[in-house]
Formats: sequence, C-alpha cells, structure tokens
Amino acid sequence: MHGFHGRLLHVDLSTGQSVWHDLEQSRLRAFLGGIGLGTSLLYDYAPPGVEPFSPANPLIFASAPLVGTGLTTTAKFAVVTKSPLTGFIADSLSSSYFALELKRIGLDALIITGRAAAMAYIFIENEKVEIRAAEHLRGKSPLECESLIRGELDVPTARVAAIGKAGENKVRFATISNEGRHAGRGGVGAVMGSKNLKAITLCGDHAISVADPAGVDKIAGALRERSLGSLTDKYRKIGTVANLAVFNRLGTLPTRNFQQSTFDDADALSGESLTENNFSRRHGCAACTIRCERLFKALDGGEQRLEYETLFALGPLCGIDNPAVVLQAAQLCDLYGLDTISTGGTLAWAMECSERGLLPGAEELGLKFGQADALLAAIPAIAEGRGLGALLAQGSRRAAIEIGGESMHWAMHVKGLELPGYEPRSLKTMALGLAVSPRGACHNRSGAYEADFSGEVDRLRADSGRGVLVAGSEDFAAVLDSLIICKFLRKCFTDFYSESANLLSKVTGWDYSSAELERAGERIHNLKKLFNMREGWRTEHDWLPPRLLTETLPTGVAQGIGLPAEELREMIQSYYQARGWDEFGFITEDKLKQLGLSGVSGSEFQLSK
Amino acid sequence: MERDSTTVDAAAVILAGGKSSRMGRPKALLLFDGEPLIAHVVRKLGNIFPEIIVVAAPDQELPPLPVKLARDDVAYQGPVSGIYHGLKASTREICFVTSCDAPFLNLALVSHLLSQISDFDVVVPFWQERFQPLHAVYRSSVAPLLKDQLERGELRPIFLYDKVRTRKIDECEIRRLDPEGLSLLNMNSPADYDAALQLWNKRNSISISVELFGVARMLAKTQLVSLDLAQGATLAQVLSALAERLPVLVGRVITSEGLISGYTCNINGLDFVRAPSAKVSSGDKIFILSADAGG
Repeated sequence: MHGFHGRLLHVDLSTGQSVWHDLEQSRLRAFLGGIGLGTSLLYDYAPPGVEPFSPANPLIFASAPLVGTGLTTTAKFAVVTKSPLTGFIADSLSSSYFALELKRIGLDALIITGRAAAMAYIFIENEKVEIRAAEHLRGKSPLECESLIRGELDVPTARVAAIGKAGENKVRFATISNEGRHAGRGGVGAVMGSKNLKAITLCGDHAISVADPAGVDKIAGALRERSLGSLTDKYRKIGTVANLAVFNRLGTLPTRNFQQSTFDDADALSGESLTENNFSRRHGCAACTIRCERLFKALDGGEQRLEYETLFALGPLCGIDNPAVVLQAAQLCDLYGLDTISTGGTLAWAMECSERGLLPGAEELGLKFGQADALLAAIPAIAEGRGLGALLAQGSRRAAIEIGGESMHWAMHVKGLELPGYEPRSLKTMALGLAVSPRGACHNRSGAYEADFSGEVDRLRADSGRGVLVAGSEDFAAVLDSLIICKFLRKCFTDFYSESANLLSKVTGWDYSSAELERAGERIHNLKKLFNMREGWRTEHDWLPPRLLTETLPTGVAQGIGLPAEELREMIQSYYQARGWDEFGFITEDKLKQLGLSGVSGSEFQLSK
Repeated sequence: MERDSTTVDAAAVILAGGKSSRMGRPKALLLFDGEPLIAHVVRKLGNIFPEIIVVAAPDQELPPLPVKLARDDVAYQGPVSGIYHGLKASTREICFVTSCDAPFLNLALVSHLLSQISDFDVVVPFWQERFQPLHAVYRSSVAPLLKDQLERGELRPIFLYDKVRTRKIDECEIRRLDPEGLSLLNMNSPADYDAALQLWNKRNSISISVELFGVARMLAKTQLVSLDLAQGATLAQVLSALAERLPVLVGRVITSEGLISGYTCNINGLDFVRAPSAKVSSGDKIFILSADAGG
C-alpha cells in the first residue's frame, strides 16, 4: 500500500493492551486520512452517547496519505474525539515533527481508549508499545514533558505530544501540545487528561512509500516554488498576526466580548507593530516552506509564539491593549496547555458578567475589560481549577448555565465552542459558517470568511446564496484537513480538486478523480454531522449567540450593521438546502446513500476488529 | 463631463474664426483636457444643446466635430460677423453664442441665460463693468440688425443692445450660479492658456488616501499616503501614482498590471476590488492588503 500503512494501533489504557488492526482500503479511500479518517474511526469506536470523559471515549490520532511525502506543509496530524466542551465532534489538527513520527511508526491511526490507573505516558517505537509511569511529569508543561521524556530515552529522534496542567485538570478547552504547537480546539487535551495520559512518545523508522516518487517529486517541487511566491507573502513575512490591523479597519475585529468590532488601541497590537517592536524569530513546522510562525520577545526575556487568534482573544476581546501582556498571557496558555481562543472567550464573558454584576467572585480577581493583572491571574486559576477558575474551566456555555440568568446572554459560543476572531455581523457568510459548523464556532473547518473577504459577496448583507458557499467551503476544508495540506497553501493551487486528485493518485497509486475527491469532502463533512446527530444534535444547535442577533455594531465601517435572526434563519435554510438535508438540518436517507454512508456503522466501512 | 443631458430648444453658436494673434496659434486647436479646445467646448455644450453651429473663418482647419459648420464670408471680420453667420445658420429661434476659447462654460449659468429670453431679444451678462457679448443669448430675429451693423462698420456687438429688448444679467446674478465667473473666462495669450490649464487640473483632480496594511506597510514604512489624481481616475491610476510615490512597492506589491497575486484592494472598508478599471472617487480611502484573510 502506498501513502498509507493500512493499519491502526488501538491502545487500551485500562487493560494495558495494545492491538494492531488492519484498516480497510475502502475506508482509507473514502475518508482519505487526517480528519476524515479520524471521524470515520470516531463514529465506529465511540459508543453512542459516550460521555467525553468516559474511558470509552476514544482519543484518535490520525495520520494522512500526504504526510511524510516531502510535500510542503503536509507534516500534520489530526486528533479526533468527542468534545467535552461541545458534546459533539472535536477534530483538531496539529503539525510538525510529531506528525512525521506518527507516520513512521507504521500506522495510519492511533486510537486510545480506557483510563490508566495512574498518570502514564505511552511510548511507541515501531511495533513496541509501552505504557509507562508519568507521575514525575505531573504538573509539567508540555514543553517540559518533551524535554524530560527525551532526556530519559536513549532515542534522540523521539517525538512527544503532551498535555499541561489544564489537560490534567480536565479544563474543557485544554490542548494537546507538541513542539510548541497545539491540537487546540474542543478540549482534546482534557480527554487525554481524563485518561490519565500525560504524553505520547513516538519513534519509528517505517519507510513512507509513494506509488510514483518521480511524479510526486515533480508536483512537490512546483508547490514548493509556488509556496514561496507572493501568494503566501502574508504568512512568510508577517504571520497571521497581520490580520489584526486589517480586521480592525474592516470592522471585523471582535472586541470586548463582541460588544464592538473595532478596537481603539489596535495599532499597538497590530502585526506590523509587533514585527517592528517585538520580533524575535521566524519558525516553521517540519517540511514547511512557508514558515508562518512568529516568535516575539516576551517580557521575561524569552520568546513567545503568537498567532492572530491568540492575539485577538487575549487582546481586544478582553480589552487588553498592551502587547507585552498579550504575549505573557499567551505564554501562560502554552505553559498550561490551554486553547487561547476559548480562554480569551471565556474570560471575556467573565469580564462582561463581572462588569454587569452578574458573576459572584469575579470582583475579587478584578476581572474587568482591560485589566491585565486580572487576566494574567485568571489563566493559572483556570488551569489549576482554583476558585472562580474552576467555573471558568468549564468554558463560557457551562459557566453561564451554572450562573444562570442574564449571564447566558453574554456567552459567545456556538455549540459550546467559543467564537474565533471573525465578527459575524460584518462577515455574513462567516456568520453562517460559524452557526452550522459541526465543531461549533470554528474558523478552520470551513473558510467561509473567504467569500466575505473576496468581494464575491456583500459581506455586510445576508442572502440565500450563502448556503452553497459555506457547504463548498466546508467540503474543501474537509479535503485539505484529510490529505492533510495546510490551509496556508490553499491559494497556491490553480484548480485544487484536480491538482490534488492527481497528487493523491501519484502518492497512493489509486486513480482519484477530482469529482471523487470533492465527494470525499462532502462525505467527511456529512459523517461529522451524522456523528453529531447520533450524539444529540438538534436544529437549535445551529445558531448564533443572542448578542449577534440583537445588537448592531456601534463603531467602524460596519457601524449600524446587525444580523437579524430571520436573516440567519434564511441563510441556514439555504445551507441545509445546498447540503441536500431536510429543512430541519437532518441528513436524509438519500444523501447518506449517495455518499455511501447509509450503513456507516454497519457495513460499508466497518472495521475488521 | 456634465451628466445632465436635458436638452433645450435652442442652438449653440461657437465662434472659432478669431485671429488668435496674441496667442500665436489657432485657439480652437489648443490642447485642453487631452483634446482640441473646440472639441472640448462642443462636447460640453452638446450636453444641453440639440444643435451646435461652429462659425469658422474661410479655409480654417478644424478637427472633425459633430456640428453644423458655418463660414464667415470674409476672414476676421470680428464678432458681429460671427454672431450674424451663426444666427443665420441656426434652425432655432434662440441661440447661445460663445467663443471657442471658453474652457469653463457653466451650463447652469447658460441655462439661466436661456430662461431669461422669453420677453427679450438678447440676454447678456455684465461682468466686471463690461458686457459679455460672446457669452450671451440672442434671438435669431436680430440677425438683420447685425447685418446692418456690419454694413455700417459697427464692429462691436454692444451697439445692438440699445436697439433691441436686452436683458442685462448683473454680476450678482451671475455669481449665484458661477461664483467666480469662470464661465466667462477666455484665453488670449499663452499665459492665459497656462493659467487656464492649471486651473482645470486643480478643479478636476480628486484626492484619495491609500492605507497600507501588512507587507505593503512594512515595505513602505508608512501607513497612509495621500494622492491627487485626475477626475475619473481608476484603480490602475491609483496604483501607478502609488508606485511613483513608493517605488519600494514595485515588483513586491504592485506591477505594471496592477496588484500582484496575493494582494487585494478594498475601497472605504466596503468593496473588495482588484480590477484595474475600477473607478475611484474623491475622498475614497483605498486599503491595500493581503488577499488572504486566513489565520
């Protein structure tokens, strides 16, 4: 088999058993890898209705056909599980050397179930699988874990993914981190923590074979060249932090818990200012030519990675205008292994509730918009579950439900996942994308904002043409996330589906057409939805927080713009229609049949366990 | 160009056959706003007049124009002859008469003059203590009187005004529609011509600002650039003026064809545009940013 190894490893932490299973070719072909393969395995491995923190909830690490082929930006892996934040699918991506090592183990997926009796880490060296004691790693940051474990091992090439304190304490938005990168959203780190699993260590030397090495090399060369051109200038020269100044000017920068979409002090936080004043180093994932990561000088003399989403969430969203504070807050989130978007989103909710006198105990911390000390004190409190931190560790939705009353009005989430840094009222296609995403408010599983920023549509007005755009964008993302290709390479394709079908054919030796690949994207997305339906999804879950539907934007070029509920409803209907689902958003039997999903848990792609 | 194309039941008569002696070359052919002055005046008047007559000297060379051409019998006989031949050639009862060296004709003022003719034979502005016979409205019925004048050798049009019902439009009335009286401005010397050109460029330029984001800002080391451009400028002209101002952007953000791939423009925070032919207006704020909003 080329591009795949054709097998998975299932480790049961409760029994200590690990078993290798063959993966059927039909499943790999239909779900590609990465998020697609992970979703398909989640559907089969998660018992219906499983509690996210139950030992039975599978934590799945999925590799993909393009990983390790030398194609730029493809050193990535997916982490899929049932989210403790949303109760639906959590499908996160992370990248770099751990991704390459996962594939070199000689597997396409690693499934972890059960719960270790004591803090443990999994060590895998090719076929050798060991569950090792990790009590000495308790409380350590993911980076400390990496260096401690590598120090213990006699294998310099070993790669480690770990959780921090937040994962150990089952903070519902804890991450799994490797080499400073994170599988960030949806609380995959909390699921890992619930299994008493501190880290996974990999070292492998399985060859990664492709069907047509010369053909793959040729495409890889062309993509590498394109990836170094002007299409990726933003990522190569400034990084994603470049978004902040533009978003502010366009009235799409969520500020003070979405009270505004412009931030008066955006200049100081802009990517341009950060680059000029705080730049330390540029960095890239393994096998990446774009190298978008930027490390900035932090106050303590160290360096800190910063992405736009972190910058927005710990900056304007919380009313913080000092870049040094944002960098310090980001450092804390990395140290504890916290998703920065949900951290910022939950804290912004707490700040608003505190200012409105709705949150008992918040005043003690001094939680108010723009209060740097309070922000910096709250992050460790969340990670360690101390005081008010224990409430905030549940995420904004659960915290608001617990507080009750008006506080629920200010929780800015979809399906429990806090909103990313794209103001929905001034990005109407994105508004729809956020409302219907199976993962909750997510900017990665669709790039619906792309239409808004292209001039293809009027971003300030809703219309029923958006359903098709969002569905198309989700399918496109599903294919990228399953092959896996980084989204920052997406513009380097002229005809994505035909180019990537050609590429995938040369990697796997299977003859993919662009139509098959497009259909795979649709299938993967539908399966995520199908999983959510099984786990209790209802029409009302595809919706946006009330603030967005009742308040108009008070400042900036989008001043006066709102999103009336009926306009959102109309867009959602257009989306269900574009998807071929019923009017309530449920997948129809016909659609399942079309996509080969009708017997998804029974026959067609059933594992030979 | 005026957008109002409401037509009137009157003709315009343009006198083009003057000597241009102080100018040193034929005024009708002076370049103005990228075209011969006569064409500029014809185009302007074409917005409201269904009939235009150009009165030229015998054998005078003119560019092709969508007008009726009338020729003086004798060269350089002066304005009375020109007005007479123009009125004679007109099929309409009312004629607005002007010279070909009036680049700033104000159609609001011209329309006002036309509106005053009903009980008069001539409507003539009185500006800076002088009648302006070559910016006046005449009834065709005065043609025989002008012929008589010519025969008597009375070469100044104002002799007519005592003989017919003349409505004098005073300065105050003119200023209500044309505060600076520019409609009455004509050019006799090269210095007048230069001054008129400068005034034209000033009156017809627009100011826009360009806001730079991301890589463009880093390269240019500035966030904001103000540019003055010709009326009707397009994005292509914005980019070319920007390239001239900030050569560091050439080849990195801007090329001769527009923005390089990976970059886009947004006008006033609302419309994303990349087409070089997109029009810009005075006061527009043009953002130059990455075409990729991912992150």
